[in-house]
Amino acid sequence: MDESERNPSATARPDSYEAAVERLEEIIDRLDSGQAGLRETLDLCSEGKQLVTYCAAELDEVGAGLKELRLDDLAAKLDTASDAG
Amino acid sequence: MEESRVAPPGRAAPELPGPFAVGTYARKLQGWMRERARVQLIGEVTGVGRSKVQAYFELRDAEGAVPCAIWLNDLEKAGLDGAGLRDGAEVVISGGLDYYPGGGQASPNFCFRATHVRLAGEGDLIARLEALRKQMRAEGLFELQKQLHRPLLPKAIGVVTAERGAARRDLVAALERRGWGGSLIWGFAPVQDRHAAPAIGMALQDLAARPEVEAIIVTRGGGSLADLWAFCDETLCRTVAMLRVPVVSAVGHERDSTLIDDVAAVACSTPTHAAEAAVPLDCLAARESLERCTVALRRAGEGAVGTRSRHLGALARGPARALQRERSKLNQKIREIRAASERGLADRASSQRRIGTVVLERARRRAVGADMDKRRDALHRAAVALRAHEPERTLERGYALVEDPDGEPLTSAAEAGAAERISLRFSDGRVRAKPERDGAA
Repeated sequence: MDESERNPSATARPDSYEAAVERLEEIIDRLDSGQAGLRETLDLCSEGKQLVTYCAAELDEVGAGLKELRLDDLAAKLDTASDAG
Repeated sequence: MEESRVAPPGRAAPELPGPFAVGTYARKLQGWMRERARVQLIGEVTGVGRSKVQAYFELRDAEGAVPCAIWLNDLEKAGLDGAGLRDGAEVVISGGLDYYPGGGQASPNFCFRATHVRLAGEGDLIARLEALRKQMRAEGLFELQKQLHRPLLPKAIGVVTAERGAARRDLVAALERRGWGGSLIWGFAPVQDRHAAPAIGMALQDLAARPEVEAIIVTRGGGSLADLWAFCDETLCRTVAMLRVPVVSAVGHERDSTLIDDVAAVACSTPTHAAEAAVPLDCLAARESLERCTVALRRAGEGAVGTRSRHLGALARGPARALQRERSKLNQKIREIRAASERGLADRASSQRRIGTVVLERARRRAVGADMDKRRDALHRAAVALRAHEPERTLERGYALVEDPDGEPLTSAAEAGAAERISLRFSDGRVRAKPERDGAA
Protein backbone atom coordinates (compact mmCIF):
# COMPACT_ATOMS: atom_id res chain seq x y z
CA MET A 1 0.00 0.00 0.00
CA ASP A 2 1.22 3.43 -0.84
CA GLU A 3 2.11 5.60 2.16
CA SER A 4 -0.20 8.39 1.12
CA GLU A 5 -3.06 5.94 0.63
CA ARG A 6 -2.51 4.36 3.99
CA ASN A 7 -2.46 7.60 5.85
CA PRO A 8 -3.78 10.33 3.59
CA SER A 9 -4.43 12.95 6.26
CA ALA A 10 -1.22 12.46 8.21
CA THR A 11 0.38 15.57 6.80
CA ALA A 12 -2.71 17.52 5.74
CA ARG A 13 -3.58 20.59 7.80
CA PRO A 14 -7.11 20.32 9.19
CA ASP A 15 -9.77 22.60 7.75
CA SER A 16 -11.01 23.66 11.17
CA TYR A 17 -10.79 22.96 14.86
CA GLU A 18 -13.89 20.78 14.71
CA ALA A 19 -12.46 18.78 11.80
CA ALA A 20 -9.26 18.27 13.78
CA VAL A 21 -11.14 17.18 16.90
CA GLU A 22 -13.34 14.83 14.90
CA ARG A 23 -10.31 13.18 13.32
CA LEU A 24 -8.57 13.04 16.69
CA GLU A 25 -11.54 11.21 18.19
CA GLU A 26 -11.47 8.73 15.30
CA ILE A 27 -7.79 8.13 15.94
CA ILE A 28 -8.26 7.58 19.68
CA ASP A 29 -11.17 5.22 19.03
CA ARG A 30 -9.10 3.27 16.53
CA LEU A 31 -6.18 3.03 18.92
CA ASP A 32 -8.46 2.05 21.80
CA SER A 33 -9.96 -0.73 19.68
CA GLY A 34 -6.60 -2.48 19.64
CA GLN A 35 -7.17 -3.42 16.01
CA ALA A 36 -4.43 -1.25 14.55
CA GLY A 37 -1.17 -2.89 13.61
CA LEU A 38 2.22 -1.48 14.60
CA ARG A 39 2.73 0.57 11.43
CA GLU A 40 -0.80 1.97 11.55
CA THR A 41 -0.50 2.69 15.28
CA LEU A 42 2.69 4.68 14.79
CA ASP A 43 1.14 6.56 11.86
CA LEU A 44 -1.98 7.34 13.87
CA CYS A 45 0.06 8.52 16.84
CA SER A 46 2.08 10.79 14.59
CA GLU A 47 -1.04 12.21 12.95
CA GLY A 48 -2.71 12.58 16.34
CA LYS A 49 0.22 14.54 17.73
CA GLN A 50 0.04 16.91 14.76
CA LEU A 51 -3.68 17.40 15.35
CA VAL A 52 -3.13 18.04 19.06
CA THR A 53 -0.49 20.62 18.16
CA TYR A 54 -2.88 22.27 15.72
CA CYS A 55 -5.73 22.32 18.25
CA ALA A 56 -3.45 23.68 20.98
CA ALA A 57 -2.36 26.48 18.63
CA GLU A 58 -5.99 27.28 17.85
CA LEU A 59 -6.81 27.42 21.55
CA ASP A 60 -3.77 29.60 22.15
CA GLU A 61 -5.14 32.09 19.63
CA VAL A 62 -8.18 32.67 21.84
CA GLY A 63 -6.34 32.14 25.10
CA ALA A 64 -4.57 35.46 25.46
CA GLY A 65 -7.56 37.26 26.96
CA LEU A 66 -10.66 38.95 25.62
CA LYS A 67 -9.96 41.78 23.18
CA GLU A 68 -12.89 44.19 23.10
CA LEU A 69 -13.22 46.37 20.01
CA ARG A 70 -15.87 48.81 18.92
CA LEU A 71 -17.38 48.59 15.49
CA ASP A 72 -17.47 52.41 15.34
CA ASP A 73 -13.70 52.61 15.97
CA LEU A 74 -12.94 49.94 13.39
CA ALA A 75 -15.11 51.73 10.84
CA ALA A 76 -13.38 55.05 11.67
CA LYS A 77 -9.95 53.47 11.22
CA LEU A 78 -11.08 52.03 7.92
CA ASP A 79 -12.28 55.45 6.81
CA THR A 80 -8.98 57.04 7.89
CA ALA A 81 -7.02 54.44 6.01
CA SER A 82 -9.17 54.98 2.92
CA ASP A 83 -8.66 58.71 3.11
CA ALA A 84 -4.90 58.28 3.54
CA GLY A 85 -4.83 55.83 0.64
CA MET B 1 -62.81 52.57 -28.47
CA GLU B 2 -60.65 53.26 -25.47
CA GLU B 3 -58.01 54.83 -27.65
CA SER B 4 -60.53 57.27 -29.12
CA ARG B 5 -61.09 58.68 -25.63
CA VAL B 6 -57.48 59.47 -25.12
CA ALA B 7 -56.85 63.06 -25.93
CA PRO B 8 -53.76 63.93 -27.88
CA PRO B 9 -51.01 65.57 -25.86
CA GLY B 10 -51.82 69.17 -25.00
CA ARG B 11 -55.52 68.84 -25.75
CA ALA B 12 -58.41 68.20 -23.39
CA ALA B 13 -60.46 65.05 -23.93
CA PRO B 14 -63.74 66.54 -25.13
CA GLU B 15 -65.74 63.34 -24.44
CA LEU B 16 -64.98 63.31 -20.63
CA PRO B 17 -67.46 64.98 -18.28
CA GLY B 18 -66.67 68.43 -17.03
CA PRO B 19 -64.78 70.51 -16.71
CA PHE B 20 -65.88 70.91 -13.08
CA ALA B 21 -64.77 73.54 -10.66
CA VAL B 22 -61.98 72.00 -8.61
CA GLY B 23 -63.43 73.19 -5.31
CA THR B 24 -66.65 71.43 -6.10
CA TYR B 25 -64.70 68.31 -7.00
CA ALA B 26 -62.67 68.53 -3.79
CA ARG B 27 -65.75 68.72 -1.63
CA LYS B 28 -67.34 65.78 -3.44
CA LEU B 29 -64.08 63.87 -2.91
CA GLN B 30 -64.22 64.70 0.77
CA GLY B 31 -67.76 63.39 0.97
CA TRP B 32 -66.86 60.22 -0.90
CA MET B 33 -63.93 59.54 1.41
CA ARG B 34 -65.92 60.08 4.53
CA GLU B 35 -68.44 57.53 3.31
CA ARG B 36 -65.78 54.84 3.28
CA ALA B 37 -65.97 52.18 5.96
CA ARG B 38 -64.56 53.01 9.32
CA VAL B 39 -61.81 50.59 10.39
CA GLN B 40 -59.06 49.96 12.92
CA LEU B 41 -55.40 50.09 11.93
CA ILE B 42 -52.36 48.91 13.81
CA GLY B 43 -48.82 50.10 13.29
CA GLU B 44 -45.92 52.08 14.57
CA VAL B 45 -46.25 55.80 15.19
CA THR B 46 -43.62 57.94 13.48
CA GLY B 47 -43.19 61.67 12.79
CA VAL B 48 -45.49 62.91 15.51
CA GLY B 49 -46.31 66.60 15.22
CA ARG B 50 -48.90 68.80 16.83
CA SER B 51 -50.87 71.88 15.90
CA LYS B 52 -53.14 73.80 18.19
CA VAL B 53 -56.05 71.50 17.58
CA GLN B 54 -54.76 68.18 16.34
CA ALA B 55 -51.84 65.83 16.28
CA TYR B 56 -50.32 64.51 13.07
CA PHE B 57 -48.33 61.35 12.63
CA GLU B 58 -47.70 58.51 10.25
CA LEU B 59 -48.75 54.99 11.05
CA ARG B 60 -46.46 52.55 9.30
CA ASP B 61 -45.12 49.07 9.09
CA ALA B 62 -42.70 47.38 6.70
CA GLU B 63 -45.11 47.44 3.79
CA GLY B 64 -46.48 50.95 3.88
CA ALA B 65 -47.77 53.97 5.79
CA VAL B 66 -50.82 56.15 6.09
CA PRO B 67 -50.83 59.83 7.18
CA CYS B 68 -53.00 60.18 10.24
CA ALA B 69 -54.49 62.95 12.29
CA ILE B 70 -56.42 63.05 15.55
CA TRP B 71 -58.08 65.95 17.29
CA LEU B 72 -56.36 66.78 20.51
CA ASN B 73 -59.55 66.37 22.51
CA ASP B 74 -59.91 62.81 21.11
CA LEU B 75 -56.31 62.19 22.04
CA GLU B 76 -56.97 63.45 25.54
CA LYS B 77 -59.99 61.18 25.85
CA ALA B 78 -57.76 58.26 24.88
CA GLY B 79 -55.36 59.18 27.67
CA LEU B 80 -52.48 59.60 25.24
CA ASP B 81 -52.06 63.33 25.31
CA GLY B 82 -48.70 64.67 26.28
CA ALA B 83 -45.94 62.13 25.59
CA GLY B 84 -48.40 59.25 25.28
CA LEU B 85 -48.38 59.41 21.52
CA ARG B 86 -44.69 59.11 20.71
CA ASP B 87 -42.53 57.92 17.91
CA GLY B 88 -42.02 54.18 17.96
CA ALA B 89 -45.20 53.45 19.86
CA GLU B 90 -47.30 50.61 18.54
CA VAL B 91 -50.88 51.84 18.47
CA VAL B 92 -54.29 50.81 17.30
CA ILE B 93 -56.34 53.64 15.83
CA SER B 94 -60.00 53.71 14.87
CA GLY B 95 -61.39 56.02 12.21
CA GLY B 96 -61.79 56.51 8.51
CA LEU B 97 -60.57 58.35 5.47
CA ASP B 98 -60.83 62.10 5.42
CA TYR B 99 -59.88 64.82 3.04
CA TYR B 100 -59.41 68.46 3.78
CA PRO B 101 -60.08 70.32 0.57
CA GLY B 102 -58.11 73.34 1.62
CA GLY B 103 -59.10 76.82 0.58
CA GLY B 104 -57.87 79.95 -1.01
CA GLN B 105 -54.72 79.90 1.17
CA ALA B 106 -54.81 76.51 2.92
CA SER B 107 -53.35 73.44 1.29
CA PRO B 108 -55.48 70.37 0.80
CA ASN B 109 -54.68 67.43 2.93
CA PHE B 110 -55.54 63.78 2.90
CA CYS B 111 -55.40 61.75 6.13
CA PHE B 112 -56.84 58.91 8.12
CA ARG B 113 -58.89 60.71 10.69
CA ALA B 114 -58.48 58.83 13.94
CA THR B 115 -61.27 59.27 16.41
CA HIS B 116 -59.77 56.89 18.92
CA VAL B 117 -56.27 55.68 19.62
CA ARG B 118 -54.82 53.22 22.10
CA LEU B 119 -51.44 51.65 22.61
CA ALA B 120 -51.33 48.24 21.05
CA GLY B 121 -51.91 45.57 23.65
CA GLU B 122 -50.11 42.26 23.99
CA GLY B 123 -52.89 40.58 22.06
CA ASP B 124 -52.63 43.07 19.17
CA LEU B 125 -48.87 42.61 18.94
CA ILE B 126 -49.06 38.85 19.21
CA ALA B 127 -51.64 38.74 16.44
CA ARG B 128 -49.44 40.92 14.25
CA LEU B 129 -46.39 38.92 15.15
CA GLU B 130 -48.12 35.67 14.25
CA ALA B 131 -49.14 37.06 10.89
CA LEU B 132 -45.55 38.09 10.17
CA ARG B 133 -44.25 34.77 11.42
CA LYS B 134 -46.61 32.84 9.19
CA GLN B 135 -45.65 34.89 6.17
CA MET B 136 -41.88 34.65 6.70
CA ARG B 137 -42.00 30.96 7.47
CA ALA B 138 -43.89 30.42 4.24
CA GLU B 139 -41.09 32.24 2.43
CA GLY B 140 -38.53 29.90 3.96
CA LEU B 141 -36.74 32.72 5.76
CA PHE B 142 -36.52 30.81 9.03
CA GLU B 143 -34.28 28.12 7.53
CA LEU B 144 -31.56 30.22 5.88
CA GLN B 145 -29.59 31.05 9.03
CA LYS B 146 -29.97 27.53 10.39
CA GLN B 147 -28.18 26.15 7.34
CA LEU B 148 -25.06 28.20 8.03
CA HIS B 149 -22.01 26.53 9.53
CA ARG B 150 -21.33 27.61 13.10
CA PRO B 151 -17.65 27.26 13.97
CA LEU B 152 -16.79 25.43 17.15
CA LEU B 153 -14.07 27.91 18.01
CA PRO B 154 -14.59 31.35 16.41
CA LYS B 155 -11.71 33.79 16.74
CA ALA B 156 -13.88 36.90 16.48
CA ILE B 157 -17.48 37.49 17.48
CA GLY B 158 -19.67 40.49 16.78
CA VAL B 159 -22.23 41.61 19.34
CA VAL B 160 -25.16 43.93 18.84
CA THR B 161 -26.59 45.24 22.08
CA ALA B 162 -27.17 48.37 24.11
CA GLU B 163 -23.96 49.96 25.28
CA ARG B 164 -25.15 50.27 28.85
CA GLY B 165 -27.20 47.11 29.07
CA ALA B 166 -26.73 44.34 31.62
CA ALA B 167 -26.59 41.87 28.74
CA ARG B 168 -23.16 43.17 27.82
CA ARG B 169 -21.75 42.34 31.25
CA ASP B 170 -23.37 38.90 31.34
CA LEU B 171 -22.01 38.08 27.91
CA VAL B 172 -18.42 38.97 28.74
CA ALA B 173 -18.58 37.02 32.00
CA ALA B 174 -19.91 33.94 30.22
CA LEU B 175 -17.21 34.05 27.54
CA GLU B 176 -14.48 34.41 30.13
CA ARG B 177 -15.86 31.49 32.13
CA ARG B 178 -15.43 29.34 29.01
CA GLY B 179 -11.83 30.46 28.72
CA TRP B 180 -12.50 32.23 25.43
CA GLY B 181 -10.26 35.22 24.84
CA GLY B 182 -10.80 36.09 21.19
CA SER B 183 -11.87 39.37 19.66
CA LEU B 184 -15.23 40.77 20.66
CA ILE B 185 -16.46 43.50 18.35
CA TRP B 186 -19.25 45.57 19.83
CA GLY B 187 -21.85 47.02 17.53
CA PHE B 188 -23.78 49.17 19.99
CA ALA B 189 -27.30 50.13 19.01
CA PRO B 190 -30.49 51.32 20.69
CA VAL B 191 -32.69 48.37 21.47
CA GLN B 192 -36.04 49.93 22.26
CA ASP B 193 -37.28 52.79 20.17
CA ARG B 194 -38.26 53.55 16.65
CA HIS B 195 -34.61 53.90 15.73
CA ALA B 196 -33.74 50.53 17.20
CA ALA B 197 -34.60 48.18 14.35
CA PRO B 198 -32.79 50.16 11.60
CA ALA B 199 -29.75 50.69 13.86
CA ILE B 200 -29.62 47.02 14.81
CA GLY B 201 -29.94 46.04 11.18
CA MET B 202 -27.13 48.39 10.20
CA ALA B 203 -24.83 47.10 12.94
CA LEU B 204 -25.55 43.52 11.93
CA GLN B 205 -24.70 44.22 8.31
CA ASP B 206 -21.50 46.06 9.23
CA LEU B 207 -20.36 43.26 11.49
CA ALA B 208 -21.20 40.58 8.94
CA ALA B 209 -19.17 42.49 6.37
CA ARG B 210 -16.00 42.08 8.45
CA PRO B 211 -14.20 38.95 7.26
CA GLU B 212 -12.87 38.00 10.68
CA VAL B 213 -16.31 37.87 12.30
CA GLU B 214 -17.49 34.26 12.47
CA ALA B 215 -20.65 34.68 14.58
CA ILE B 216 -22.85 37.54 15.74
CA ILE B 217 -24.84 37.79 18.94
CA VAL B 218 -27.88 40.06 19.19
CA THR B 219 -29.02 40.55 22.74
CA ARG B 220 -30.98 42.70 25.10
CA GLY B 221 -32.65 42.20 28.44
CA GLY B 222 -36.25 41.34 29.11
CA GLY B 223 -39.30 43.53 28.71
CA SER B 224 -42.82 43.56 27.41
CA LEU B 225 -43.49 42.55 23.85
CA ALA B 226 -43.92 46.23 23.06
CA ASP B 227 -40.46 46.89 24.52
CA LEU B 228 -39.01 44.11 22.40
CA TRP B 229 -40.99 45.05 19.35
CA ALA B 230 -37.94 46.32 17.47
CA PHE B 231 -36.79 42.70 17.30
CA CYS B 232 -40.01 41.79 15.56
CA ASP B 233 -39.41 44.34 12.86
CA GLU B 234 -39.98 42.73 9.51
CA THR B 235 -37.19 44.57 7.72
CA LEU B 236 -34.69 43.75 10.45
CA CYS B 237 -35.68 40.11 10.47
CA ARG B 238 -35.43 39.84 6.70
CA THR B 239 -31.95 41.37 6.96
CA VAL B 240 -30.92 38.81 9.57
CA ALA B 241 -32.23 35.96 7.43
CA MET B 242 -30.03 37.00 4.52
CA LEU B 243 -26.76 37.44 6.47
CA ARG B 244 -23.87 35.12 5.64
CA VAL B 245 -22.74 34.98 9.27
CA PRO B 246 -24.72 32.95 11.81
CA VAL B 247 -26.67 35.10 14.24
CA VAL B 248 -27.35 34.03 17.80
CA SER B 249 -30.30 35.87 19.31
CA ALA B 250 -30.90 36.34 23.00
CA VAL B 251 -33.67 38.89 23.27
CA GLY B 252 -35.76 39.16 26.38
CA HIS B 253 -36.27 36.33 28.76
CA GLU B 254 -37.19 32.75 28.22
CA ARG B 255 -40.91 33.40 27.88
CA ASP B 256 -40.40 36.14 25.29
CA SER B 257 -40.43 35.12 21.71
CA THR B 258 -39.56 37.67 19.07
CA LEU B 259 -39.42 37.30 15.34
CA ILE B 260 -35.64 37.60 15.30
CA ASP B 261 -35.52 34.41 17.37
CA ASP B 262 -37.27 32.62 14.51
CA VAL B 263 -34.94 33.80 11.77
CA ALA B 264 -31.67 33.53 13.77
CA ALA B 265 -29.41 30.49 13.50
CA VAL B 266 -29.88 29.90 17.24
CA ALA B 267 -32.30 31.46 19.71
CA CYS B 268 -31.21 31.63 23.33
CA SER B 269 -32.99 32.74 26.45
CA THR B 270 -30.11 34.64 28.08
CA PRO B 271 -26.84 36.33 27.13
CA THR B 272 -25.01 33.55 28.95
CA HIS B 273 -26.60 30.93 26.73
CA ALA B 274 -25.88 33.10 23.71
CA ALA B 275 -22.19 33.13 24.63
CA GLU B 276 -22.19 29.34 24.81
CA ALA B 277 -23.97 29.08 21.47
CA ALA B 278 -21.59 31.51 19.77
CA VAL B 279 -18.54 29.71 21.18
CA PRO B 280 -19.72 26.09 21.40
CA LEU B 281 -16.30 24.96 22.59
CA ASP B 282 -15.56 25.26 26.28
CA CYS B 283 -11.91 26.23 25.88
CA LEU B 284 -10.92 25.21 29.40
CA ALA B 285 -12.47 21.77 29.01
CA ALA B 286 -10.95 21.50 25.53
CA ARG B 287 -7.46 22.09 26.90
CA GLU B 288 -7.95 19.34 29.46
CA SER B 289 -9.29 17.07 26.74
CA LEU B 290 -6.23 17.79 24.60
CA GLU B 291 -4.01 16.87 27.53
CA ARG B 292 -5.82 13.54 27.81
CA CYS B 293 -5.45 12.98 24.06
CA THR B 294 -1.74 13.68 24.30
CA VAL B 295 -1.36 11.14 27.10
CA ALA B 296 -3.49 8.58 25.24
CA LEU B 297 -1.44 9.01 22.07
CA ARG B 298 1.85 8.72 23.95
CA ARG B 299 0.65 5.59 25.71
CA ALA B 300 -0.63 4.10 22.49
CA GLY B 301 2.66 4.75 20.71
CA GLU B 302 4.86 3.52 23.52
CA GLY B 303 2.52 0.65 24.28
CA ALA B 304 2.44 -0.48 20.69
CA VAL B 305 6.23 -0.60 20.53
CA GLY B 306 6.70 -1.95 24.07
CA THR B 307 4.10 -4.67 23.82
CA ARG B 308 5.35 -5.80 20.46
CA SER B 309 8.93 -5.59 21.65
CA ARG B 310 8.14 -7.86 24.59
CA HIS B 311 6.22 -10.16 22.28
CA LEU B 312 9.14 -10.24 19.86
CA GLY B 313 11.51 -10.93 22.77
CA ALA B 314 9.33 -13.82 23.83
CA LEU B 315 9.27 -15.08 20.28
CA ALA B 316 13.05 -14.74 20.04
CA ARG B 317 13.47 -16.78 23.21
CA GLY B 318 11.00 -19.34 21.95
CA PRO B 319 13.35 -21.46 19.82
CA ALA B 320 15.94 -21.66 22.62
CA ARG B 321 13.26 -22.75 25.03
CA ALA B 322 11.93 -25.27 22.56
CA LEU B 323 15.43 -26.63 22.05
CA GLN B 324 15.91 -26.85 25.80
CA ARG B 325 12.63 -28.70 26.13
CA GLU B 326 13.54 -31.12 23.40
CA ARG B 327 16.99 -31.57 24.89
CA SER B 328 15.46 -32.40 28.26
CA LYS B 329 13.14 -34.87 26.64
CA LEU B 330 16.02 -36.40 24.81
CA ASN B 331 18.10 -36.71 27.97
CA GLN B 332 15.18 -38.32 29.70
CA LYS B 333 14.86 -40.81 26.88
CA ILE B 334 18.55 -41.50 27.07
CA ARG B 335 18.30 -42.13 30.78
CA GLU B 336 15.34 -44.39 30.25
CA ILE B 337 17.09 -46.24 27.50
CA ARG B 338 20.22 -46.59 29.59
CA ALA B 339 18.25 -47.95 32.51
CA ALA B 340 16.39 -50.30 30.26
CA SER B 341 19.63 -51.35 28.65
CA GLU B 342 21.22 -52.07 31.98
CA ARG B 343 18.23 -54.09 33.03
CA GLY B 344 18.20 -56.24 29.92
CA LEU B 345 21.94 -56.42 29.36
CA ALA B 346 22.48 -59.88 30.84
CA ASP B 347 19.58 -61.38 28.99
CA ARG B 348 20.74 -59.81 25.86
CA ALA B 349 24.33 -60.98 26.40
CA SER B 350 23.32 -64.60 26.96
CA SER B 351 20.96 -64.42 24.13
CA GLN B 352 23.67 -63.00 21.96
CA ARG B 353 26.01 -65.65 23.16
CA ARG B 354 23.51 -68.33 22.28
CA ILE B 355 23.00 -66.80 18.98
CA GLY B 356 26.75 -66.59 18.50
CA THR B 357 27.19 -70.22 19.37
CA VAL B 358 24.54 -71.25 16.98
CA VAL B 359 26.01 -69.11 14.31
CA LEU B 360 29.51 -70.38 14.93
CA GLU B 361 28.33 -73.92 14.96
CA ARG B 362 26.55 -73.35 11.77
CA ALA B 363 29.64 -71.78 10.33
CA ARG B 364 31.84 -74.49 11.60
CA ARG B 365 29.54 -77.00 10.18
CA ARG B 366 29.45 -75.22 6.97
CA ALA B 367 33.24 -74.97 6.95
CA VAL B 368 33.81 -78.60 7.90
CA GLY B 369 31.31 -79.83 5.39
CA ALA B 370 32.95 -77.93 2.66
CA ASP B 371 36.43 -79.21 3.63
CA MET B 372 35.31 -82.78 3.73
CA ASP B 373 33.74 -82.50 0.38
CA LYS B 374 36.93 -81.06 -1.00
CA ARG B 375 39.02 -83.77 0.61
CA ARG B 376 36.59 -86.37 -0.57
CA ASP B 377 36.84 -85.10 -4.06
CA ALA B 378 40.65 -85.00 -3.88
CA LEU B 379 40.75 -88.50 -2.45
CA HIS B 380 38.50 -89.69 -5.12
CA ARG B 381 40.64 -88.09 -7.74
CA ALA B 382 43.79 -89.61 -6.10
CA ALA B 383 42.18 -92.99 -5.90
CA VAL B 384 41.29 -92.80 -9.54
CA ALA B 385 44.86 -91.78 -10.34
CA LEU B 386 46.33 -94.45 -8.12
CA ARG B 387 44.12 -97.04 -9.54
CA ALA B 388 45.28 -96.03 -12.97
CA HIS B 389 48.85 -96.74 -11.86
CA GLU B 390 48.16 -100.01 -9.98
CA PRO B 391 50.03 -103.09 -11.50
CA GLU B 392 46.75 -104.92 -11.37
CA ARG B 393 45.32 -102.46 -13.92
CA THR B 394 48.22 -103.24 -16.18
CA LEU B 395 47.96 -106.96 -15.44
CA GLU B 396 44.26 -106.74 -16.28
CA ARG B 397 45.24 -105.50 -19.65
CA GLY B 398 47.31 -108.72 -20.22
CA TYR B 399 50.71 -107.94 -18.83
CA ALA B 400 52.56 -110.10 -16.24
CA LEU B 401 54.83 -109.07 -13.42
CA VAL B 402 58.08 -110.99 -12.84
CA GLU B 403 58.85 -111.45 -9.13
CA ASP B 404 61.36 -113.42 -7.12
CA PRO B 405 60.17 -116.02 -4.75
CA ASP B 406 59.92 -113.40 -2.06
CA GLY B 407 57.62 -111.36 -4.17
CA GLU B 408 60.11 -108.75 -5.03
CA PRO B 409 59.72 -107.56 -8.62
CA LEU B 410 62.50 -108.45 -11.03
CA THR B 411 62.73 -105.57 -13.38
CA SER B 412 65.49 -106.81 -15.75
CA ALA B 413 66.37 -109.89 -17.80
CA ALA B 414 69.62 -110.08 -15.97
CA GLU B 415 67.93 -110.24 -12.57
CA ALA B 416 65.48 -112.84 -13.86
CA GLY B 417 68.23 -114.89 -15.52
CA ALA B 418 70.16 -114.85 -12.34
CA ALA B 419 67.30 -116.01 -10.18
CA GLU B 420 66.74 -119.68 -9.47
CA ARG B 421 63.18 -119.40 -9.55
CA ILE B 422 60.80 -116.76 -10.63
CA SER B 423 57.13 -116.09 -10.25
CA LEU B 424 54.95 -114.69 -13.00
CA ARG B 425 52.13 -112.74 -11.62
CA PHE B 426 49.01 -112.43 -13.80
CA SER B 427 45.87 -110.64 -13.01
CA ASP B 428 44.13 -113.82 -12.21
CA GLY B 429 47.00 -115.57 -10.31
CA ARG B 430 50.64 -116.59 -10.16
CA VAL B 431 52.71 -119.05 -12.17
CA ARG B 432 56.05 -120.34 -10.88
CA ALA B 433 58.79 -120.76 -13.46
CA LYS B 434 62.48 -121.60 -13.73
CA PRO B 435 64.50 -119.55 -16.15
CA GLU B 436 66.53 -121.41 -18.78
CA ARG B 437 69.93 -120.24 -19.36
CA ASP B 438 71.89 -120.27 -22.63
CA GLY B 439 75.07 -122.38 -23.10
CA ALA B 440 76.94 -120.01 -21.33
CA ALA B 441 74.70 -120.53 -18.54
